[in-house]
Amino acid sequence: MVPASNYLILSAVLFTIGVVGVLIRRNPIQIFMCVELMLNAANLSFIALGRHFGQMNGQMYVIFSMAVAAAEVSVGLGIIVAIFRQRQNIDIDVMNQMQK
Amino acid sequence: MSSGSLASWIILLPLTGFLFSAFSGFLFSNRKAQNRAVSLVAPGVVILSFLFSLFLLPHLSEAPGSRILTPLIPGTSLMQPWIKMGGFQADFTLLLDPLSLLMALIVTGVGGLIHIYAIGYMAEDEEQPRFFTYFNLFIFTMLLLVMGDNFLMMFVGWEGVGLCSYLLIGFWYRDAENAKAGNKAFIVNRIGDLGFSLGIMAAWSYFGTVSFFTPHGHGVMDLARHAGGAVDVMGHLVPGSAITMICLLLFAGAVGKSAQIPLFVWLPDAMAGPTPVSALIHAATMVTAGVVMLTRCSWLFVQSAAALHVIAWVGAITAVLGATVGLVQTDIKKVLAFSTVSQLGYMFIACGVGAFSAGMFHVLTHAFFKGLLFLGAGAVIHSMLGEQDMRKMGGLKKLLPSVWSVMIIGTYTIAGIPLLSGFWSKDAILEAASRSFYGDGTILYLIGLGSAFITAFYMNRLMWKTFYTQPRFNDGELTRKIHSNSDEEISVSQGHGHVHPSPSSMMWPLYALASLSVLAGILLGPTGIFEKFLLPSIAPLSLGNLHQAAEMFPPWAGYLFSSLTAFAGIGAAYYLYQQHIQTGELIPEERKLKNPVYIFLQAKWGFDAFYNLVFLRGGEQIASFFRKVVEEDTIEGAENGITGLVGSLSNLGRQLQTGYVRNYALVMLIGAVALIAGLLARLMH
Repeated sequence: MVPASNYLILSAVLFTIGVVGVLIRRNPIQIFMCVELMLNAANLSFIALGRHFGQMNGQMYVIFSMAVAAAEVSVGLGIIVAIFRQRQNIDIDVMNQMQK
Repeated sequence: MSSGSLASWIILLPLTGFLFSAFSGFLFSNRKAQNRAVSLVAPGVVILSFLFSLFLLPHLSEAPGSRILTPLIPGTSLMQPWIKMGGFQADFTLLLDPLSLLMALIVTGVGGLIHIYAIGYMAEDEEQPRFFTYFNLFIFTMLLLVMGDNFLMMFVGWEGVGLCSYLLIGFWYRDAENAKAGNKAFIVNRIGDLGFSLGIMAAWSYFGTVSFFTPHGHGVMDLARHAGGAVDVMGHLVPGSAITMICLLLFAGAVGKSAQIPLFVWLPDAMAGPTPVSALIHAATMVTAGVVMLTRCSWLFVQSAAALHVIAWVGAITAVLGATVGLVQTDIKKVLAFSTVSQLGYMFIACGVGAFSAGMFHVLTHAFFKGLLFLGAGAVIHSMLGEQDMRKMGGLKKLLPSVWSVMIIGTYTIAGIPLLSGFWSKDAILEAASRSFYGDGTILYLIGLGSAFITAFYMNRLMWKTFYTQPRFNDGELTRKIHSNSDEEISVSQGHGHVHPSPSSMMWPLYALASLSVLAGILLGPTGIFEKFLLPSIAPLSLGNLHQAAEMFPPWAGYLFSSLTAFAGIGAAYYLYQQHIQTGELIPEERKLKNPVYIFLQAKWGFDAFYNLVFLRGGEQIASFFRKVVEEDTIEGAENGITGLVGSLSNLGRQLQTGYVRNYALVMLIGAVALIAGLLARLMH
């Protein structure tokens, strides 16, 4: 059996990739994908640890988390579409009106 | 009714009259009925007060020491304090002695006549109730001033008459000039009043009381005449320097109220008020309050030779100033105003040489003849459609013969024609001045005589310009005026009135004052009645170890010199104006303006210019220093510095808010990492 530590390392790598992606990407769709990556990294560690401890809690939380992620993506994509309709552009760096 | 409560009613009647006039608007819906009621009640209460005062006259000599002390509110106790704080006490007590009764008679008598005159004079004025409200309030406060038994009541009256003066000078307040003149009078008087109130405080701190007289002999004046020098209530001796200080501070108040140098500048401007106001307040009564106060405090003043000397010389210089400036005035009321300043100077000379009763005698006769002159001038102005410039008058003797006849009596009285009242009172002053205890009698006498000559001249100049010279007004206008007199009245928009010969309510007071001007002197002066009557109120010079100098000349010589001076003044005016009967001007206008003497006199000896320069400009400079340097540079600078500091700090903070999502995300990441690192660190331990 693959030890839980391997899963956790993979999860940490995926999470870091996600974080870096969120920080450096300018396209919100790509940022979303990176956010998904971070969520799924967390899901992975939930499942891995769940199996390691022989409990169902981890899997249950993952199902919750996936449902929330789906909802979040639909809302987020909706916002992106709305922004695109308004300004024909979804570059994240142009959207800094809050500063002004 | 006891004579005490009668005395209270002398004061309280004008107060009720004031309240009635003030609230008459609630009682009458019809303005005409209101005017009629007010013009009946207001003079009525004053005349009633006069009758009460007259009734008290014989009772006074029966009282011990000719002095009656009585509470202000009838039925209350004499010991009822008005203010009582710690060691300080002031009572609501009235003092009835020859001095206060004399002043009450003048105020209510002359005041009553002027009230009657005002009915006619103000008949066409819209705001008659307001006028009589102020007028009655004035009588009330003036009576409080002269009858109060302590400095504090006198001060309340003192400020009250100042207030009424202010309100009445600015009675026609829609003209900004009138309102300004009222302000000037009020503000200049504040300067004197500051001295007066300091004097009261000084009197309290040295004597321990502010009462003049008390039943147990603990008033300031009781204590001042203590054998062996003035003592305070505890019996300690009051030093002479303190008395001099108190006297000079009190005198500062008198200088303001009685328009002496250097505070006389308000009185000529005060002529902006209606003429009855000028006659009552600014000639007959209020402006003599300073003399009354000095006489009331004569027990103190005779103990300070230095203060008396200052008073005599201020009076002498003022007498000359008033007379000389009166020479070049063209406004008929301003001539009389400067004449008042000059006559008040005479009264102060009298007080300054310790002849308080001569000063008060002049207060009495001056009230008659100056009231007469002002009311006569008012009648002239009334008939001239409000015109006050003598250059636009002339030839009025034919048109206003009755006014002329009373004016000529007034003029001869003030000029000092023998046997008229002005002659006796002025001569009493000159005689006292010549015997000044300081030894400078000759100079004071000559100054007085010189001013008397100028007085005779400028008063006759007024008569010539107004009544004798060729008319210089628009003929058609006045003819129409005169013709319209008897039957109908032509209403005019300008000024306060209609054109008509003065109604009988205006003429009767004039006749009454004219007879008093003629008779008062010869009845009271040479017979010595007046001096004897006033004696209990007046301190003898010997109290302060002062002694009148020996007579310079016998009395008949004094009379002779005075009469010659009066006739010389009248003769000079006759001689000069006879030659210029066409123009009424001795020197053509354009040559006047180049004459330095004329310019100097026209500028009132430069007092107004000096005050403008020092106080107005100087004040402006100080104010602008505070506005610029203190306010703008210092205070606002500090405020702006603080706001600038906060602003730049917040600018620094604003740099953190980039608006870029990734920056926020990075910060969140750093925060999360730090949090987790912290938790882990704790778990490790």
